[in-house]
Amino acid sequence: MLEIKIHDESCRGCELCVDVCPTDVLAFDKVAHKATIQNVGDCIACLSCAFICPSGAITHSNIHHVKNFYRDLDFCRRVERFL
Amino acid sequence: MNDLEQSRQTLQETMNFMAALAAGIEPVIGRGACSMAYSAGRTLGAQFARHSQRTNDLETALAEVRNVLTENDCLWQFEAFHPSTRPSLITKGEDGSEEILLVFRDCMIRQSLFRYGHAQKGSLCYMMYGFFAGALEAIMGRRAELAIIHAGENACLKCLKVHA
Ligand code: SF4
Ligand code: SF4
Repeated sequence: MLEIKIHDESCRGCELCVDVCPTDVLAFDKVAHKATIQNVGDCIACLSCAFICPSGAITHSNIHHVKNFYRDLDFCRRVERFL
Repeated sequence: MNDLEQSRQTLQETMNFMAALAAGIEPVIGRGACSMAYSAGRTLGAQFARHSQRTNDLETALAEVRNVLTENDCLWQFEAFHPSTRPSLITKGEDGSEEILLVFRDCMIRQSLFRYGHAQKGSLCYMMYGFFAGALEAIMGRRAELAIIHAGENACLKCLKVHA
């Protein structure tokens, strides 16, 4: 089950994550001046909120991370020894 | 260099070249670059799906598109997305059209663009959306459009509309 965490102390209330989210998962608490999670079930794990957050306050767990098709071939050779 | 490494390097170079080419032509041709790429992708998608099973059922058609992608070694996984704000997975319009949201995860185009910091939603993205629409149109025999709602770092959200 996908989980999102917003580190309260790191959040500086810029609202960028709320604006970037395409599925309205995040909301803004005007009193606390912090981002909150209102609808985790609609999160598509695009990670745009986590990338845009200037404080690195948002983390997701239990999600699919896209495959990196780019590998340095020398690095690949080194990694393959451990596979 | 063995065969696998050779193919991997060729693929990577082709992807880099495509991304650089797309980033280069867009400022020259303008938004028309996206329409051209969409149209080219659509023709290719229709060709690839010409032997697929025909159906008028959207979910079966999506499964067929998935088969077409797999058979042609396209690593472009997608899944249907049913947000809590919509009453059903497929929204039917009064004009007989059908609409469904799709989430795309692993995508070679996205990774190619990120490699050199090119923006998403450009002509290469449109080429892939055209490919998808073309394949679906061939399978369903109805006009289809795939609109980009959100191009994210780890997934993209699209709205697929199939006309009556
Ligand atoms: S982007 Fe980060 S800092 Fe800004 S409101 Fe969201 S969690 Fe807080
Ligand atoms: S990962 Fe994407 S969908 Fe999920 S909360 Fe962040 S921006 Fe919204």
